[in-house]
Amino acid sequence: MSTQASPPPMVQAANVSKWFGDLVAVSDVSFSIGAGVTALLGPNGAGKSTLLRMMCGLARPSNGTVTVLGKNPRADVAVLGRIGMAPQQESLLDYLSGREFVELAAQLHQVANPVEAARRAIQTVELDPDDTRRLSTYSKGMRQRIKLAQAVVHDPLVIALDEPLTGLDPRQRREMIQLFHRLGDEGKCVIVSSHVLDEVERFGSRVLVIAQGRLAAEGDFRDIRNLMDDRPLRISIRTDRPRVLATALLESGAISGCRLEGTDCVVVDTTEPAAFRRAVAPMARDRDASLLELRPLDDDLESVFRYLVGQ
Amino acid sequence: MNPHIFRVVVRSQISTGRLLALAGLSGVAILLAFVARVADDPVEVATLSMGTFGTNIFAPFIALALGSAALGNLVEDRTLVYVWLRPVPRYSVATAAFAAVISVVGPIVVAVMTVAAAITGVGDLLVATAVATALAVFAYSGIFLALGLRFKRSLLVGLGYIAIWELLLSRLGDWFARLSVRSYPMSILSDATGVEMRLADRSTLTSYVVPLAVGVAGLIYTSWRLSRTEID
Repeated sequence: MSTQASPPPMVQAANVSKWFGDLVAVSDVSFSIGAGVTALLGPNGAGKSTLLRMMCGLARPSNGTVTVLGKNPRADVAVLGRIGMAPQQESLLDYLSGREFVELAAQLHQVANPVEAARRAIQTVELDPDDTRRLSTYSKGMRQRIKLAQAVVHDPLVIALDEPLTGLDPRQRREMIQLFHRLGDEGKCVIVSSHVLDEVERFGSRVLVIAQGRLAAEGDFRDIRNLMDDRPLRISIRTDRPRVLATALLESGAISGCRLEGTDCVVVDTTEPAAFRRAVAPMARDRDASLLELRPLDDDLESVFRYLVGQ
Repeated sequence: MNPHIFRVVVRSQISTGRLLALAGLSGVAILLAFVARVADDPVEVATLSMGTFGTNIFAPFIALALGSAALGNLVEDRTLVYVWLRPVPRYSVATAAFAAVISVVGPIVVAVMTVAAAITGVGDLLVATAVATALAVFAYSGIFLALGLRFKRSLLVGLGYIAIWELLLSRLGDWFARLSVRSYPMSILSDATGVEMRLADRSTLTSYVVPLAVGVAGLIYTSWRLSRTEID
């Protein structure tokens, strides 16, 4: 019988809550994160940044404990040497050049050769290490990348990245996601927050879904995606024959209810979105109805997360 | 003290507005010195000028402008994270910031006021002015470094402190005066020339010790605050 032990978690949260006055930002969240890429998914204001800040020791839990590599990052300054973080805010030390900014991080982490380490980190994020321009002149995408460079310059074991793909173009996003995977494959614990479902799908990894300060779901992204795909949907259909199409959809069982709106619109409820998607186009074709628009009315992240919280 | 943080804070302090304020206040100091030189009683006018302007206005306002910004700007623009999130002891960060403020404010204020004292032609004032302004800079830098970390609108809070506490309440009685930083450097000037000034009746020992203690207290509070504060 194999007795292979699972590796110890690198980041652990136990019954963590955080409140600011009356506002509860994080409520009784527990999880363990090991090596590899883990996505922290949730809508804006869900508590992702607060969780990341507590993991990095920037904020103190109001209740519960957060440990990184077995230490309390709030109390143990030494463990900060094993953590790299790219915060969400755009502001940087604008009077420094990009190289000086990353070198400063390397120096403060007591990297043996800060100049060389900074060059390497800047090249990793596809910026020019010889660029002497001040950070104040950097574009949004460049600022995102230099934040990543300072987060990895000291080769940390735990890397927390708060919405790191914001402002990057598609190619840069692809490159950055590859970088996250490379770091994860090297045994580092990479935690990436995002409010974009499709983005997280491309991380292709373990996901912690945070909604309204709570851990709404946890596990492999595909399982969570399936859960999301199974939720009831309300869809607005614009067609030249709304009554005919609505009747056909009701008879087929693809929808559970409908409401006519105006002369060219019907709003339908379905508990089987996949079956609905398969049925709607052939039915419209068979009944000579032109489909002018199909628009999900509750496909925003908020509603997705509300659904997950209710599950 | 961390030399890398020291360098960054020094660089962050240099701005056109602050340089203009420095140049303007330096010009006033030199002008007052020339006025004192040609006055009927140059010793009295020079002592009053160095005391009222140097330790009551020049030192605190420049220390406020630079001291409150040293860490305060990092808090306000949410970049303190890039200093805080490193394995650097908090007292080392605070000491580096304090040293950066002192090393920018000190030489400028002390040099300008010493030159001004030399222009007055009152020999007794030369060393006393250098020492008094240096002590004032030390104390005010500690206070305003701490204020910068503690309050969001630290410049306004600092202006309020100077105007209400240092310049107004300190006149209400001896106990208030004892809690006013400016009374100590002024006493050094008064001791040196024998010119009596309001508030300047502290003993020689306390005139030296209290400003140093205030500066160190500001530094200790800043270190403590850095280790307790939540970073945005």
